[in-house]
Amino acid sequence: MSRVTIPIGPQHPLLKEPVSFNITLEGENVIDSTLRLGYVHRGIEKLAESRSYVKNITLFERVCGICSHIHTTTYCQAVEGLLGLEIPRRGSYIRMLLCELERIHSHLLWLGVLAKNIGLNTVFMYAWRDREIVLDLMEEISGGRVSHAINTIGGVRKDLSSTQAKKILADLPVLAARVRELLDIVNNDRSFKARTQGIGYLSTQDVYRYCVVGPVARASGVGVDLRRDAPYAHYHEFDINVITMQEGDVWARAIVRILETIESIDLSRQIVEKLPAGDVTVRANRKVPEGEFVSRSEAPRGEVIYFVKSDGTQTPKRVKVRTPTLTALITLPMQLEGLQMADVSAVIAGVDLCIACADR
Amino acid sequence: MIMREFALYIFHLAFFPGFIFLVASGMFFHWIDRKLLARFEGRVGPPWYQPLADIIKLFAKEDILPIGTNQLFALLLPLTSFASTLSAGFHILGTLTGTVSSFNGDFIMLIFLISLPSLLFFLGGWTTSGVYSILGGNRSLLQYFSYEVLFIMAISGTAIASGSWSLAGIFNAQSGSMPYITLQIAGFILSIAGLIGKLKRSPYDIPKAKSEMVMGPLTEYSGGKLALWKLADFLQTLSGIALIVYCYFGGLWLPHTAIGYVIFILLMLTIQFILSIISAVFTRLRIDQLIDLNWRILIPLSLIHNLLIMIL
Repeated sequence: MSRVTIPIGPQHPLLKEPVSFNITLEGENVIDSTLRLGYVHRGIEKLAESRSYVKNITLFERVCGICSHIHTTTYCQAVEGLLGLEIPRRGSYIRMLLCELERIHSHLLWLGVLAKNIGLNTVFMYAWRDREIVLDLMEEISGGRVSHAINTIGGVRKDLSSTQAKKILADLPVLAARVRELLDIVNNDRSFKARTQGIGYLSTQDVYRYCVVGPVARASGVGVDLRRDAPYAHYHEFDINVITMQEGDVWARAIVRILETIESIDLSRQIVEKLPAGDVTVRANRKVPEGEFVSRSEAPRGEVIYFVKSDGTQTPKRVKVRTPTLTALITLPMQLEGLQMADVSAVIAGVDLCIACADR
Repeated sequence: MIMREFALYIFHLAFFPGFIFLVASGMFFHWIDRKLLARFEGRVGPPWYQPLADIIKLFAKEDILPIGTNQLFALLLPLTSFASTLSAGFHILGTLTGTVSSFNGDFIMLIFLISLPSLLFFLGGWTTSGVYSILGGNRSLLQYFSYEVLFIMAISGTAIASGSWSLAGIFNAQSGSMPYITLQIAGFILSIAGLIGKLKRSPYDIPKAKSEMVMGPLTEYSGGKLALWKLADFLQTLSGIALIVYCYFGGLWLPHTAIGYVIFILLMLTIQFILSIISAVFTRLRIDQLIDLNWRILIPLSLIHNLLIMIL
């Protein structure tokens, strides 16, 4: 049978961000696949070297359009580490709250994309409808639906009022009920399972070999979660339930993400309930002492690492970002091999690529 | 006298139940489908004139085809699809209103006319030399036999039971006794499955799976030609649904009466509702899953069904 090479990307209905796959097919079966990155490279790391520490917060918020808050959180943590600052508990709690809300929003978005790619538009619409609840909450808290601009070096810029807290506590159970409905669909719908089970398999060994992180690793039985393993902010004050599955396929990733969403909803509720009184920010020095700092945090897609090197001036010497998507990307050709063309869309959606993060 | 007859003839062809009426009702059913799907998905859905606006817009657009495409062929394919579904719709609705007289064997002609666009759809992919088009065309051909056989087998049950291969014969056989939906409910379900395949609706929308094949065979079409494909699609849906109503719900209405038309339209809307709800709840099948389902389960079932009808 003759071989055909199908270009997927840089622009394709299956992708939400520009990345390019060349998939070689023999009939309907995938023989080979190659990957090309770099369509949204913006030189953010280099740009950061010419801006002051405070200006860089705005810059790093633009690394990603989905998990913008986690990037600024990780960056601020690094700078605060260099400054030796201890941020107020209330500020740290608000940071965590937004991190969790962002995780809910990211996972629901992902579920919608997966459902759309396997041709189940109804779940896509439902997931995105439910995501509106959390987007509205984030807008209420920070003023922005996706880019929150709430982090600053030394804490957060906005406090949480008691009416806002009440609204969050009132809306979260509604969201939890809706997410349970989605879980029910993913768990029980036979056609959904038929399209997602047994494809995109990644074994535990492969997870270790390629350093895969986040929900993809957890779906393959590797329970890594920085919120529990290396707590940042004030996560050590909470009991984090890390969800793992053994199947390692797209379906397991869906289940892991939805269960995580439910966990995050619960965690957000706990954070709001336990919210301590006090200031939300402390004054930070504009000049950062010489040194290096590595800050890590658990983004919706896995571990984000920021390395900040300071030379004692107002601008950083070097900022290196490492995002979780890259590790998942390099496993893709392996996951795709031998599959059918129809499964490609499900597998590519399954790892939850964030190309803007990976390219920067 | 001859002039008057001729004018009436033209009126039937062009307006009712001909071209204008058919295209308008095809668009109406398409709108119903989109509106229902939108409501199932929690969206608002388009206004009633959306299909018309789409078609007008497409005709106003520039018509581009890739280099190396046979221009004449690329025009003839959608035109033929449109014409064949239009004739099918005209024959069914004409039989209903009494404009056209049903003849023996028109049932087979209708099945042929309704399935012609599916075959041309594949050719349409091969004519425009795009990689998505060709692969989508391959897929549609691979799928073609599995649903086509199913549809013909299932719906033939009514013709076998009535002992006539004409639309009027099938209808009359039912009005004497009970409509076939009561006795051949299995056949009805199977032919709905076949129809979904024919119309390439979800879960059988493999050839035009957006996340894999972009638009399948129609990827490279634009402008007026794409509009013709769309119109053919609307009319295929309309005539497919009308055929099923005729074959399974005959005898529920009196022919050539106003109340009869209302019942006919309501039944058609019911079937459209069934099609929409199926689209909303199922994921797209993989091609091997589809072939498996059709050849292993549905087609043997329809065979058994037909054998039972013949014995009884």
